[in-house]
Amino acid sequence: MANIQSHSPAAKVGKVITYSVLLVFSCFAVVPLLWLFMNSFKTTQEFMIDKLSLPGQTEGYSATLVNYIDAWTRGKFPTLIMNSVIYTAGTVIMVEVLAIMAGFGFAKLRCKATKVLHGSFVIGILLTIQCIMVPLFLLVNAIGLYNSRLGVLIPYIGISLPMAVYLATEYIKSIPDALVESARIDGASYFGILARIIAPMAKPVAVTVAILTVSSIWNEFMLINILTSDDALKSLPVGINQFAGALTTDYGKQFASLVIGLIPMLAFYLVFRKEITKGVAAGAVKG
Amino acid sequence: MKGGVTKRREHYVTYWVLVLPAFLIYILVMAFPTIYSVVLSLSDYRGGNLFTSDINFVGFDSYKEVIDDQYFYVALKNNLLLVFISVFGQIPLGFIFAYLLSRDMVKHKDFFQTMIYLPSVISTVVIGLLWKSFFSPNGAFVQLIRVFNPSYEAALSSYPFGQVLFVTLWMYVGNYLIIFMANLQKIDSSIIEAAKIDGASEMQVLWHIILPALSGVIVTASILAISGSLKAFDLIYVMTGGGPANRTTVLSIFMYDKAFKGAPNYPVANAISTIMVVISFTLIGITKFIESRVGGRE
Repeated sequence: MANIQSHSPAAKVGKVITYSVLLVFSCFAVVPLLWLFMNSFKTTQEFMIDKLSLPGQTEGYSATLVNYIDAWTRGKFPTLIMNSVIYTAGTVIMVEVLAIMAGFGFAKLRCKATKVLHGSFVIGILLTIQCIMVPLFLLVNAIGLYNSRLGVLIPYIGISLPMAVYLATEYIKSIPDALVESARIDGASYFGILARIIAPMAKPVAVTVAILTVSSIWNEFMLINILTSDDALKSLPVGINQFAGALTTDYGKQFASLVIGLIPMLAFYLVFRKEITKGVAAGAVKG
Repeated sequence: MKGGVTKRREHYVTYWVLVLPAFLIYILVMAFPTIYSVVLSLSDYRGGNLFTSDINFVGFDSYKEVIDDQYFYVALKNNLLLVFISVFGQIPLGFIFAYLLSRDMVKHKDFFQTMIYLPSVISTVVIGLLWKSFFSPNGAFVQLIRVFNPSYEAALSSYPFGQVLFVTLWMYVGNYLIIFMANLQKIDSSIIEAAKIDGASEMQVLWHIILPALSGVIVTASILAISGSLKAFDLIYVMTGGGPANRTTVLSIFMYDKAFKGAPNYPVANAISTIMVVISFTLIGITKFIESRVGGRE
């Protein structure tokens, strides 16, 4: 059936149109990024002469790495990347531990409080950073955590928990009760069951939670922008905005910093493409 | 019997040990600040120690101040435009791409999906600065537009929010592509094949089988698009900062400016965020209402 159809002229025309539409839009999605990449190898002078050519095409200029060398040191990229890694890794580890613990409690240990507690996490999925931004800033200031790593990490863990707890609970619910019950009869403690049975089985949801948390925390800008002012504590997005955003006339260096800024997420995406796709789809189950 | 009692105690102690740490952090970071935000919006708190300073209840004064502010309407209008472009731009485009990719009409699905989704994974700050430079007077847009028609150059400065709308559309289409792809794969392909054997055209399959099956997903996607567009901050903060002359401001930038630019006006900032929540829930409610009327035909 499929074969017959794909040989008819109408199907061929349809195929050509489909491919053209997809190709045009894929190029449209990627070309701006290529444009950025291309121009990061030009000096600002060369860029000003021609903004659309390949680097080194303009007479008297050649492709150069000088923008990268300058941006890397002057933009303090080693510190920024290190900070972003600390914030992201710290948040992911804590969120995984807390969400799987809570998910196990909600899904397998019966308690009247679950309805209220679990329900409040589900409502939390709908809360936004905007509603907590000002009070959180005042609170962090009042308890003396302004300009500290902890003052960033605790809010990050808190904003990531609602979705993580929801996903972990749903997943652990699908693990058969009989596994927990038979282990109980054999005399295992709940914590033993969590460590030896539930946690290993919850690996798929742990991956989803990790993917969602990494992509949101690594790119987070709004909160950390108001919770820190110390250069030594800034994350990549804040640092890039301050360094590259200020280079309004030095395009070469600005583009190089932007490329440095996008490489970590690009690499993360290309390595975990399948898992990211799954995670995004899973994160959209609840609106 | 005694064993039963200790077992029950172990059960409850374990439950709270498991659940409480996550719950306390959640309360501290999200639930309490959300409620406190409403409290502050009704107060006259202008700064100073949160615990010891004198905070008075002044009613809805701050809300009045917001409603009397002309920029509130500029921000609101821009936010609604973002909602519009997300719901009627990103979602249909994302659906069309997902549909084309999932109906086995093309090879290299993965390749196309990866390319179209790429902009969504990159940090909004990087994206914002990239497009800011692209659209700047020294950027490539001007050079590009001169090739076609130099008179279009003026369009950029006469309607600065256009570039924000464009970049928003460009950036997030991939998100909806992924959501629709995942759910299109769940549709039982034997139903579609059966319909085709009975002589149904591609359009009939789309209209009578695929769209009804996806009505719930379309609602979820709309809710994501609505709440996402009302929250928009990073991209605009980086690209235009709300300028020139507040013409590209949105509610969250308007709120940020009240709280963190110049003399802080916390009550007004919190009034704005409360209004944002109300608008968000209203729009989501309307979406759900429309769904209950027309959705789920099968």
